[in-house]
Amino acid sequence: MDLLEGNLELKEIQKLEGHTDRVWSVAWNPATGAAGIPAMFASCSGDKTVRIWQQTPSARCSASFECKAVLEETHNRTVRSCAWSPSGKLLATASFDATTAIWEHIGDDFECVSTLEGHENEVKSVSWNASGSLLATCSRDKSVWIWEVQPGNEFECVAVLQGHTQDVKMVKWHPFMDVLFSCSYDNTVKVWAEDGDTDDWHCVQTLGEPNNGHTSTVWALSFNSTGDKMVTCSDDLTLKIWETDSRIPQETDGYMPWRHLSTLTGYHDRTIFSVHWSSEGVIASGAADDAIRLFIENKDGLEELNASFSWAHRTANGMADTLAKQGVFR
Amino acid sequence: MDSKPANPKPLEDIFDSSVNLEETHFQEGYKDGFNDGLVLGKQEGREVGLKLGFEVGEELGFYRGCVDVWNAANRVDSSCFSSRVQKNIRQMEELIEKYPFLDPENESVQEIMDALRSKFRAISATLSLKLEYDGYPKSTDVKDLEF
Repeated sequence: MDLLEGNLELKEIQKLEGHTDRVWSVAWNPATGAAGIPAMFASCSGDKTVRIWQQTPSARCSASFECKAVLEETHNRTVRSCAWSPSGKLLATASFDATTAIWEHIGDDFECVSTLEGHENEVKSVSWNASGSLLATCSRDKSVWIWEVQPGNEFECVAVLQGHTQDVKMVKWHPFMDVLFSCSYDNTVKVWAEDGDTDDWHCVQTLGEPNNGHTSTVWALSFNSTGDKMVTCSDDLTLKIWETDSRIPQETDGYMPWRHLSTLTGYHDRTIFSVHWSSEGVIASGAADDAIRLFIENKDGLEELNASFSWAHRTANGMADTLAKQGVFR
Repeated sequence: MDSKPANPKPLEDIFDSSVNLEETHFQEGYKDGFNDGLVLGKQEGREVGLKLGFEVGEELGFYRGCVDVWNAANRVDSSCFSSRVQKNIRQMEELIEKYPFLDPENESVQEIMDALRSKFRAISATLSLKLEYDGYPKSTDVKDLEF
């Protein structure tokens, strides 16, 4: 599919109602949407609940999602973000009530099997590593916590990482290396890696203004499918692309640093809250200017596709995830 | 204070002493201030030292107590903690022992204290302990909600 040539259109195919307060984030269940398994995603909201939506098997092209479950009576405040484990069996939900709940998906039911406490205040984001053995959370308390999954859905805290000087907005593991990325209100992206196998995690790189980094809050980051490029979005109205050497680091070599590749300016005139790099190479960004923009790389660099438009929502926060993954190109 | 030179000198010296007046007053004022400052400084230093020393001591004592209890529990039942938690407890103990009690100006004091707090929170979180040390300020104050 040559996206640059085609006439692209982003069309709303369904509006899902049910939440009684703003929806902050959505996450697709990675074990669904293929091989006959109907697509499923979770949405989390200021109404303190998480809703699970599933595509009805009958409808194919015109996707018809319905609410299969409501995960409630667990969080006392807004659920800010959610993430499925790679196996799709566990769902982690991060809440302003300073806890992260772990839900197990068995059959049609979801049961809260664990609650991770430790952050001093609002947990902003949660992310599973590629193998599902580690979970990272971050919070307004400026720290990033790493947890290890033990048998029986027990979680052990591996590390409490201090380093950011302000609210940490998002954490994300590299798509296949156990290297953790966090972005913050302090305008930086930090990279965290473990020293061998010792549980000794520390910040191996900080991407800030001196590295051509953002000049205001970095809200989100996302990796391309090959893991050698990353896109970040910020309150400074830009998107930045970063790259690293694609060689897999050797045992002793340690860590491959990231460097700034390019900056996309002028596409949004309000804070860009969310960005996602789809597996097919399309970058979707959502901003407070009510717009979602799609970008693809051509031989000269990144170029905007003719598919930007104003979304019906007041703020296109968290939508980038949905669009990029679903590939609603018509 | 005698501002006249000892030996009568040429004309310039008469003006010299008026110029010197400013300089001399400056020197005297400096001396007074320095001496007062020495006294006050020592006093304040003592007060601050006592206060900070107490705070640090109390916090270190708290961690020492926790480690001792955990070690005792471990002796009773060596399987009550996972290997990671045991390692963290050992590391906490090493940090407490490493803390330069008698050298408050040692640069590593803040680093060791931060590491201790971090380890303590990691262990508490894993053991689901709602234990908290009340003394130190949290990393955040009461602030407005953000997104």
